[in-house]
Parts: sequence; structure tokens; C-alpha cells
Amino acid sequence: MLNFLRLSSLADVSEMLWADGPVSALIAGGTDLLVRPERLASARILIDISNLTELGGIGVTPDGDLRIGAAVTHQEIADDDTVRRHAHLLAQACAQVGSVQIRNRGTLGGNLANASPAGDSIPALLCLEARVALVARERGRAVPINEFFVGPAKTVMQVDELIESVRIPLRRGRWVSFFEKAGQRKGMCCSKASVAFLAQRHGDRRLTGVRVALGAVAPTAIRVPAAEAALEGQVLTLERARAAAEACREAARAIDDIRSTRDYRREAVSALLLQGLLPLYDRMRALARPRRRSRRRR
Amino acid sequence: MSLTIHFTLNGSPVVFEVEPEERLVHTLRERAGLTGTKLGCGIGECGACSVLLDGKLVPSCLVLSAQADGHEVTTIEGLSKNGLSDLQRAFVEEGAVQCGYCTPGMVMAGEAVLRRYQRPTTRQIRAGIAGNLCRCTGYAKIVSAIRKTARRRAHRRSGR
Repeated sequence: MLNFLRLSSLADVSEMLWADGPVSALIAGGTDLLVRPERLASARILIDISNLTELGGIGVTPDGDLRIGAAVTHQEIADDDTVRRHAHLLAQACAQVGSVQIRNRGTLGGNLANASPAGDSIPALLCLEARVALVARERGRAVPINEFFVGPAKTVMQVDELIESVRIPLRRGRWVSFFEKAGQRKGMCCSKASVAFLAQRHGDRRLTGVRVALGAVAPTAIRVPAAEAALEGQVLTLERARAAAEACREAARAIDDIRSTRDYRREAVSALLLQGLLPLYDRMRALARPRRRSRRRR
Repeated sequence: MSLTIHFTLNGSPVVFEVEPEERLVHTLRERAGLTGTKLGCGIGECGACSVLLDGKLVPSCLVLSAQADGHEVTTIEGLSKNGLSDLQRAFVEEGAVQCGYCTPGMVMAGEAVLRRYQRPTTRQIRAGIAGNLCRCTGYAKIVSAIRKTARRRAHRRSGR
């Protein structure tokens, strides 16, 4: 017999998890939980956290982080000006999650707690070096996103912990980013492979702070240090883009599963990185041109 | 264990006794008798069950009825209280209906696009209905119906 509870504070939710963690399931948007009959069948208590104000909101904290509440939806993130200004890559990724219906329900906290290797927000958060703020009864901790996932559907969260928010350090300077994914159906799909890219762009066209992360090609989303190294501190050239793409292919420890094959996924991450880098290459060259002209005039 | 929920349905307050695992699509169809909302895949992939929850397009198969407590729900019936809405009329004019099963969800998705953008581009319209499957594949006419309604609404706004 299933029970449905709507609690009024995070503290109450955590108490409840402490007492009945193994038989209770948290529900926010429900876009993962409600499509998994086995998860629902094993739950005796559904705790609705979608209305908790403590889990809402997007803003900048006094210590200079962008804070996004765990129950904020993908669509809210994609549309939010503060996110677009400080963490455009996350807005780009969230805009490509599912369909508008799914984006209006699915939450950032849910995407993380569900811990699918294909979760679209995760490669973006890896590049942005986000931290996951967890709360439990009278304690809290912030886990760096690269330490948060242990494997498919597995995180470091304890039974009484829940995700309060995601914190992203604010960045200075000009940044370029993209999120590219491949799947069965553009308007609504679970990624077969995805690539997130972030770098700081300098006046001399060099890229620094390069971050490349892949989704759906390993037990958890992964950064690709070799691809980052191929581009770091350099002007973007086609050869360097190709080298970075090759590094992505090498890094992908993909598997064959219901959605795709290992070989396809390895090809896809390489192609997706190029797909994102080529327009960037064109844009950076276009940006460079007027500067050259003005120098000549002088 | 059943729960008592209160919400606003197409502008009127309603009260239902629902099961904890009950989905909004069932409450709407079976308890409220509003069968305009269709159940397709039941896993949020086809869009046939789309409704507006607090003005936002959602798949009613993935909303627990209990989660609608205290909120505002608009279904296809709510758009056509005084006869067909302008968007529905445009669907008829453009021949955007074939078997009709996806139509209520498509109209809700189209309505959500029109509320979000005053002058939606074709790309925005396509993205707005990307979560709705039409297996008769009549997408082109659906897009024209939405575009036509956008033009008419813009015209009406400027006329005032």
C-alpha cells in the first residue's frame, strides 16, 4: 500500500528519510520515477518535494556562487538570465533535455539523484566544476560534482541526505561553450552520447581553462583531460580540433546497450565535439579579422 | 489509502478522492469525465496527454494527481469553453487533423507556444511541438495552423 506525503520543510523530509529511507522515494518532477514501475513498486512512501520553497530559486550567494535550487526545472534553468550570464553551458544543456513537457517537470536535483550516465546536465556541471549541496538532519556538505557519482544510478548520498542545490563558481572573462548530443529523436530522447565544452576566450584567440566532458559513454559522465590538453592555451585550429576529437573517441569507454552500440558512441563523441568546435572556429576567425584590418590602418 | 485533493480545473475549483499513485491523466478522464485529454504512451514520450499545469505544458501521465493539489490545470476542454478556440479553428481550416488522437495534445502544445512567443518563428513552433508525436505525420499542417493563429492574434492585438 503506497502512501503519499507532502512535507513542509527540508528538515522534515530528512527526518522521514532517516526513519523510513529504504521504503521511501522522493518525487519532484516524476519524469524518472514514474517511468520505472520497479522503483515505484518497492516504495511504500512517496515524499513530494516539488513544492518545497527551500529547494527552489536561482541566485548568486554572498560567497560568490551561482546557486540553483534542486527542484528548479530544466526549462526554468534554460530560460533564466542569471544562469545564461554565469553558466551559459548549463542553460544550453538543460534546453536540450527531453521535450518542453519533460523540461517543465524534470528538475536539476532529479537529474543528479537519478545518476544516469546519460543525464544531460551532468557533463555541463563537470565542465563548470559545480558542487552538489547535500543536506541531512542537522548537517550539510558540498560534494564536488566529479566525486558525486559512483556508477550508473549510484551516488555518494547517504540514506537521509537529499540534494538542496547545485553551486557553480562564478567566472570572470569571456567564455565560450556548447552542448551537443546525439539520440534517437531530437525533440525527446535520452542521449546516446553527449559532449559539453567550456573555455575562456582571449583577445588573441587563445583558449584557456578548456573543459571537455562526455555523457553516456562511461559508467558516469567523464572529463577528457587529453582533449582539454590538446586545446589548452592554444589558438583553435582544425588540426587541434581533430586531435581533441580523437582524444574523446579514445576516452569513451562505451558499452552496447538498448540505446546504442559501443562503436557508434565512440564515433559520436568525436563527431559531436567537432560539430561544436567547427562553428566556434569560424566565429573566432571572424572575430579576429576586424582586429587585423584596424592594425593595418594604423 | 486515498487522498483528497483540491485544484482549479479549467477555471473552476474541484475536489477529488484519488489514489497515491494515480496519474493526473486518469483523474481528468475517469473522475472529471474530461476525455479530451488522451493517454498515449504513458511514459511522457508522445505528448497526447499534454495539459497546462499553472500555465506550463506538462505530460499529465507523469504528474501524480496528488501533486496537482493546490494548482491550476487547463485541459483542451478549458480552451474551448465558448466553442472552438481560434487555434482549434485554424487546425480545422488547415486540415491539421487526421486520425485526431494527437490533436488535443498538439493544440495544448501549440497554445503553450503562442502564450510564450507573440510572434513565434517556425523553428520555435517546431521545437514547441517536438514532444508531441503525430503518427499520421501531418506535422506541416499542424505547424501552419499554429503559425496562422499567431498571425491572427498579432493582428488582433495591433488592431486594438
